[in-house]
Amino acid sequence: MSENAEIAEAAELLRTAQETRKACAPIRDLIGETDIDAAYKVQGINHEHALASGRRQVGYKIGLTAKAVQKQLGVDQPDYGVLYADMMLGDTSDIDTSQLIAPKVEAEIAFVLGRDIAHADVTITELMDAIDHALPAIEVVDSRVKDWNIRITDTVADNAAGALCVLGTTPRKLSELDLRLCGMAMLNRGEPIATGAGLACLGNPLNATLWLVQKMTSLGQSLRAGDVIMSGALGPMAPAKSGETYEANISGLGSVRAVFAGS
Amino acid sequence: MSQIIDLARRVDRAAQEATAIAQFSEAAGLSVSDAYLIQAASIAERLKRGERRVGIKMGLTSRSKMEQVGVHEMIWGRLTNDMYVEDGGSTSMSRYVHPRAEPEIAFILKKDLAGPVTTAEAAAAVECVAPAIEIIDSRFENFKFDLCDVVADNCSSSGYLMGPARAMDFDIGNLGMVLSIDDQPVAVGSSAAILGHPLRSLAAASKMVAQSGETLKAGDIVLAGAATAAVELKAGMTVSTEIQQLGSLSFKVTE
Repeated sequence: MSENAEIAEAAELLRTAQETRKACAPIRDLIGETDIDAAYKVQGINHEHALASGRRQVGYKIGLTAKAVQKQLGVDQPDYGVLYADMMLGDTSDIDTSQLIAPKVEAEIAFVLGRDIAHADVTITELMDAIDHALPAIEVVDSRVKDWNIRITDTVADNAAGALCVLGTTPRKLSELDLRLCGMAMLNRGEPIATGAGLACLGNPLNATLWLVQKMTSLGQSLRAGDVIMSGALGPMAPAKSGETYEANISGLGSVRAVFAGS
Repeated sequence: MSQIIDLARRVDRAAQEATAIAQFSEAAGLSVSDAYLIQAASIAERLKRGERRVGIKMGLTSRSKMEQVGVHEMIWGRLTNDMYVEDGGSTSMSRYVHPRAEPEIAFILKKDLAGPVTTAEAAAAVECVAPAIEIIDSRFENFKFDLCDVVADNCSSSGYLMGPARAMDFDIGNLGMVLSIDDQPVAVGSSAAILGHPLRSLAAASKMVAQSGETLKAGDIVLAGAATAAVELKAGMTVSTEIQQLGSLSFKVTE
């Protein structure tokens, strides 16, 4: 187990990297490559800082939902990060790239809860009942660790690489959707630069969402009506460049655009 | 011309006997049009043996496929009835050198398509659309080839399956597609990976076959190209593909 001093130092490194937009050395140098609990403690310290500085939590993101990515990082489960109000953007809003370090984009489905979930043994049907609607979304991920040189503890400590979420404006009920087989295409200048489907996210985006909800409630954190859950990528992520627009189309859910301002 | 015939016989024999041959296009100094002549001549050998041309396949229509084989141009090959594998049936490894499978969308035409056409004209010529799997098997050693090699080798075509067809009364531009081996998903993608929309591949097919003086005919099958990288086949596998709104199909691989 890493010492508290190292956990605090790791948290400070990541905060400084975010504030200065200068990526830091891998966090695993301080807390090791395998101690996921220590990594969540680092994330937790920075969450307390965020709340103390007035940021408001609006939900969670789920990461590492692709089997291939889990294998690459040597884990057999997803990870999560916290979403704050200042990370949430509407369709086609300008993204200021100077606020980011090495952004990448991925297309996913956002679920918005219509009621609270408090019990840790929440079932799939209770989860479906609690979801008010789904939205097409682009997650902008960023690594505060230099050159995306990350192992599992680096990304968990770094709020699961969360940066921004661009949400579409076409809410859909679950009954209208084929969450498992819905096609996903991420377009840039008309070219499909990443494609996938719902089942790329742990077999079904609701599987990832159930994991998250059970994880949080078992840690004593309830989910609230209005919370947004970014359920995980439906295909590979793509590097985002200044001056470029990325459009995600998800079959049945519509489309959403992330516009990166020119430098 | 005798070189074209010689090379056509070489790829035809390799396909017939399921044996790998060395790449030849560089040594022979082939152009792309030579390569298509070799392909046509090798198919003529098949037709002489009583096989029937049933349609064509488009190849390298997606980024993942181009990267997998290192060739960055669209290509097309001919399909014959002998290459058909039944949905729910099986195919033997003995027919192939080093086969791979990929999930595809198949069009069946109700009208001829000749030369450059718009995607709207292409759509109007479609009788129905079906989920499909193509079995590709380069006759070249180690599945290594350049553009002219692969074209001469009928674009690695060696087998195809189609699931239940349905009318194309919905947008097929972004359908989720999955290829599974023994029910485990191994490749996930979208029909959008096929040139952004599979109908673009059909329009490209009409234009490309015209360059060889051919037209697509009513009743032809056109495989639009793979949406994901291809997966290696081994005896004992059950291979299936499921496509959003189109349904699924499967086959077994035997010794």
